[in-house]
Amino acid sequence: MNSPLAFDADLLRRYDLPGPRYTSYPTAPHFGAGFDESRLRDHIRRSNSEPLPRRLSLYLHVPYCFSPCFYCGCNRIITRDPARGQRYVDSLVREIELAGRLFDRDRDVVQLHLGGGTPNFLRPAQLRELVESIGLHFHVSTSAQRDFSIELDPRCVREGDIAAYAQTGFNRASLGVQDFDPEVQQAVNRIQSVEETLKVIDECRASGFRSVNVDLIYGLPKQTLEGFARTLDIVMEARPHRLAVYGYAHLPDLFKPQRQIDATLLPSPQLKLALLQLAIEKLSAAGYRYIGMDHFALPEDDLAIAQAAGDLHRNFMGYTTLADCDLVGLGMSSISHIGDSFSQNPRDLASWEAALDQGRLPVWRGLELDEDDVLRAEVIQQLMCQGEIDIDAVETRHHIDFAEYFAESLGRLRSLCADGLASMDRRRIIATSRGRLLLRIIAMCFDRYLNQPAPQAERTRFSRVI
Amino acid sequence: MKDVPGRRLHNPIADDGDEFHFCSTCAFSAACLDSGYDKSQLRDLHVLVEHTGPFREGEHIFREGEPFTAIAAVRAGTVKTYVIDADGHEQVQGFFLPGEVIGLSAISHGHYPCNAVALDSVLLCRFSFPNIAALATRMPGLQHQLFRLLSQDIGKAALLAGNYSADERMAAFLIALSRRYAARGFSPNRFQLSMTRSDMANYLRLASETVSRVFRRFQDEGLIRVERRDLELLNRPAIEALARSVLRD
Repeated sequence: MNSPLAFDADLLRRYDLPGPRYTSYPTAPHFGAGFDESRLRDHIRRSNSEPLPRRLSLYLHVPYCFSPCFYCGCNRIITRDPARGQRYVDSLVREIELAGRLFDRDRDVVQLHLGGGTPNFLRPAQLRELVESIGLHFHVSTSAQRDFSIELDPRCVREGDIAAYAQTGFNRASLGVQDFDPEVQQAVNRIQSVEETLKVIDECRASGFRSVNVDLIYGLPKQTLEGFARTLDIVMEARPHRLAVYGYAHLPDLFKPQRQIDATLLPSPQLKLALLQLAIEKLSAAGYRYIGMDHFALPEDDLAIAQAAGDLHRNFMGYTTLADCDLVGLGMSSISHIGDSFSQNPRDLASWEAALDQGRLPVWRGLELDEDDVLRAEVIQQLMCQGEIDIDAVETRHHIDFAEYFAESLGRLRSLCADGLASMDRRRIIATSRGRLLLRIIAMCFDRYLNQPAPQAERTRFSRVI
Repeated sequence: MKDVPGRRLHNPIADDGDEFHFCSTCAFSAACLDSGYDKSQLRDLHVLVEHTGPFREGEHIFREGEPFTAIAAVRAGTVKTYVIDADGHEQVQGFFLPGEVIGLSAISHGHYPCNAVALDSVLLCRFSFPNIAALATRMPGLQHQLFRLLSQDIGKAALLAGNYSADERMAAFLIALSRRYAARGFSPNRFQLSMTRSDMANYLRLASETVSRVFRRFQDEGLIRVERRDLELLNRPAIEALARSVLRD
């Protein structure tokens, strides 16, 4: 997947359709209420009983933010009351304890990710309490290869915080930036100076963090090519190991905060594409490799190395180098992926807390993957991570005749091939350099659920592809 | 699952027989055919050959102390036998694969001396014991086969009694499974481990963590590849070498 990324405006425009991001397959809207706590316990038990039980990846969701960014589509709660943070930590510790005792001791936690919301809404001492609790109730890997990452809002970072995170064990950070253009920042209600941002990046480096990621967004109100170019220049100068460039999805009916955005100030589809093109050109010129979806990394970063080695994976936290982990999601709205199951915690604080107060694992909904789900999930994973599908490997592992099994998918794929998005022969399906920005579109060919109504009428949650 | 287009059969399931043909894994078909009996003739002799199941995962096939009426050949799935010791702990006695016969240890007792539980979806072929024993007196081939099965059953338990390392035990276990699958016409180097890790640990008299540690080491050394419950033997000679002292061959 190391051929140059081709930017084809006409193609991108034609395929700018709503589609899932495939951080999971099946996607969350297809989780159902039939999956409850006892089913989750059962899947954990089964996962423990495998000959070589999988290692664990933990996700902790911290929903709080001090102020609302208007573009946000995440599940978060705005407050300035630090007491709410401590109360949340107390509940999370209970959940860590409840979940931790269900997993066998020989299952190392090799990955920990704190997302939000704003994880650093919590003070370093509170984060330390969480990590210590994890150490108490799970078996945490002591390997240098373990990934402990935290999403940071640079505006909330105080003196000494970064060093404290490093001491707690965090070794990767992801910073929200979006755009440094003051007009854009005003329009999205996120005023964040270049200085405070660069200071956090410097401090992460100085504290020995293995990688720093920066999130940018294109398609925000009042965004211009000149302003975004300046932002990109500043970020390139700081040279973070990883970069994510997300397309803003304006879905005000679904995401209340977005109603604060004046739709007339949004860039036209042409400008949006030009912003993406600008980002790709600048990042490529600066030596960043395209990883997939919205992600870029320096060639010496673990992600780029893993991708080159065919060893890249994708889960709810995005791309990762750690294969074959069971994913334990803790905190409200978090998603777990244990064995062949997905399950999600309640998306509202009250239900999540109520379950924990009663000593129950807070399971809201979930799904048991059948053999077909497992097979399609693997095909989509290969595509999203490697940009290609190895037909022989899939046939051997799943005992299928690919052409026969996926006859319908391949039928859909043929028109994408005609448009130059993908190429296929008997052994391989490859996303072309033109198609790599449209991996989702190719993956959608293999999604059995796309034409099925979701249980909770959540179809429109999907953002557009670009 | 069978009607999904493009999906090939994967799990070891015997080709089912019918009124006139034996199942491909049948423990007795060769003996009967050698003696000149085909299946329809057996029926004439009122030998009960009864297909039962499916038993679901966790379902008991017989329990300790129940009166012994039949031995049964596994047609599909895996069966675990175990007893509960004086301290109330489970002791796993063995695992039975397609084509293998359960209930043999009951022959001398008149009742089942252990519990048998399905580890996955299990299909059985039940032989009413008095009837097959009576038939055996008239069919030397069948009698010989019964004796052979009985002695194999005794030998299996003796396998792991010695003072062996965890690596040796595990290697012997994998090679024994592999040979048993191969003997029934299944792939010797790629099969499913239907038993849980704690069942394996119990059977091999190892700690559960030791089982996963040995699996991980074997995998890191390129001897095997484990994915979920699928096992592939990548370096068979090396595993055989480790297993040699246990298997004594």
